[in-house]
Amino acid sequence: MPDQPSLDRNLDQLLSEECGRSGPSDKPKLLKVLLAVQERMGYVPPHSIPQIARRVGATEADVAGVLSYYPDLRTFAPGRHVIRICMGESCFANRCSRVLRALNDHLGIVIGETDAGRRFTLEKVYCMGNCAVAPTVAVNQDLFGRVEPEQIPSIVDCYR
Amino acid sequence: MTPATLYLSNDTSSRAVGADRLAKQLRQQSNARLIRTSSRGAFFLEPMIERDVTEGREGRMVWCNVTASDLPNIVAGRGGVPLRSIPFLSAQSRFTFSNFGITQPLALDEYRTRGGFEGLERALDMARDSIIEELKIAGLRGRGGAAYPVWSKWQAARQTESDEKFVVVNADEGDAGTYCDRMVMEGDPFRLIEGMLICARAIGATKGYVYCRQEYPAAAGAMRAAVRKVEEAGLLELNGRPFAIDVVLGAGSYVCGEETALLESLEGRRGVVRAKPPYPAVSGLYRKPTIVSNVLTFATVPNILTRGGAWHASLGTDRSRGTIALQIGGRVAQPGLVEIPFGLSLRKVLDQFGGGMAAGSRFKAVQVGGPLGSLFPESKLDIPICYDSFSDAGAILGHGGIVVYDEDTDMVELARHFMAFTADESCGKCTPCRIGSLRGRELLDLVHGGRATKAELTLLTDLADTMRTASLCALGGRAPYPVLTAIEHFPGEFQTRLRAQEAGTG
Ligand code: SF4
Ligand code: FES
Repeated sequence: MPDQPSLDRNLDQLLSEECGRSGPSDKPKLLKVLLAVQERMGYVPPHSIPQIARRVGATEADVAGVLSYYPDLRTFAPGRHVIRICMGESCFANRCSRVLRALNDHLGIVIGETDAGRRFTLEKVYCMGNCAVAPTVAVNQDLFGRVEPEQIPSIVDCYR
Repeated sequence: MTPATLYLSNDTSSRAVGADRLAKQLRQQSNARLIRTSSRGAFFLEPMIERDVTEGREGRMVWCNVTASDLPNIVAGRGGVPLRSIPFLSAQSRFTFSNFGITQPLALDEYRTRGGFEGLERALDMARDSIIEELKIAGLRGRGGAAYPVWSKWQAARQTESDEKFVVVNADEGDAGTYCDRMVMEGDPFRLIEGMLICARAIGATKGYVYCRQEYPAAAGAMRAAVRKVEEAGLLELNGRPFAIDVVLGAGSYVCGEETALLESLEGRRGVVRAKPPYPAVSGLYRKPTIVSNVLTFATVPNILTRGGAWHASLGTDRSRGTIALQIGGRVAQPGLVEIPFGLSLRKVLDQFGGGMAAGSRFKAVQVGGPLGSLFPESKLDIPICYDSFSDAGAILGHGGIVVYDEDTDMVELARHFMAFTADESCGKCTPCRIGSLRGRELLDLVHGGRATKAELTLLTDLADTMRTASLCALGGRAPYPVLTAIEHFPGEFQTRLRAQEAGTG
């Protein structure tokens, strides 16, 4: 990756900010640091594990362990927009599978994939607390309720 | 002409169905003043706009399922219905949710005018043991899965000697179909903070945490803003020392809703379940005494202090005191949040508040308590909503999420969905759950694909027995229930899938 060195410098700055923010008695929390890295970069690059471990004062195994445990932490760069579809019970009862099919068809990808243009990554979640207006789809932080399969093109295409 | 005062909810679900677009348009009107409130929870009517009526004693008028073309009429005061003519709202008994739809979530002065922080003030005047005694009289049980008496947890934490003690709000109980925690944090965050402070006072805690699901960004934002406001008002203080409250985000792991897994996660590690005992009240966060309770439990406490434990005990049933926040969802006509005393039957709740089935749908099954809850067919709807009748029926109330499935639901697919969920979310600590859920999903894949025989179905029920009896926590222990109750109440759908296979090979 050609932009790797600059990426690492960014990371280092971010890590020192994150770790500097917590007081001396409050040891920087690994999960919090990983979330901050992901927030900034969109994912946690696997090659940054040693660097994070050093900064946080944890072993590389600790970092890899936490990184692989939490569903929200990604180790690959997502598309520019992350689309999440809810597969929770209320959405299931309200036929989220039809909405999922519409997303699959329109984007040409299944859950866990990113499209060829790296515009969209499709992920699943179990409940966003929006159950009363299910089924639910989120594009980045924007939530859509009572989604009909037919609406998918118009929802998604706003983000192209 | 004085501009009309209009109220529109700023709740996540209201925004998901277009409230923000309406707000933008209303802000451009000079003859309307817009106030963004919390939602009343009548989500089937959202987006809903309310308007103050100056003449008569009608209270507010409301316009429901508003679209942009309705706005001129609303601003002019044409049409609409009186708020109190909506039975979904008028038939409830709202205590914990009494501010919803009325106040602006982050207006501290409004919260105080409506009785906020009176509970805390009382608690500050009381001896620690009397606070705990008040909860005992109230009969408050934890509003999460285990329904454990709250006072007894508090007493254990109070009596354990330690230089540090913690109050942790579990805002990561992510049962699908539940949203009351999200609503409390977004819509009445000061109530949650007040509950935390009362608890901190009673047990002598030194610091508080709100561990919030990452899926609720607006809730976390509201909590952070509310903590800041309370701090600025000089109220974030106990015994002359500052009482800091941190809002921490989770990372999408369902098991972190289990209290010990949550504490592991809060300490920055993998959210893996700890063996109990010791219980967190004695040895919790950093092995110090810690009260972990869910949002609704803390939010119930201020009223108990203000109105007295006896008031709380006078509501509900013998062993389920107070009110419950039911969240109705799925294929009903009127999905939304309802707060009523314990004891009404499931059927009545679905008829009276759920409004029956969604247009064109016929009832098939209902599930209460999230992905680990049992599935009930029509014949079981007369069960009263309280902890004991549910546990007698092998079911759980959990967070009071109710999801209704209609005739079109494929029960085999649904059963497979639940096992896939458990396999996705298992923390991996114990074999019955980690391996059992994977094997269970494989078996249900076979059934679903019409490739299983009776032998595989028997194996599935055996496996379910093992998971139920040998898992360390409720995820593995309760995961078999939705699957087994689906097989029990809808055997035909499973049998048909088998026969197709047996005909093919025979
Ligand atoms: S039952 Fe599942 S989630 Fe619970 S401790 Fe065992 S492996 Fe972890
Ligand atoms: S079940 Fe989909 S938002 Fe809750």
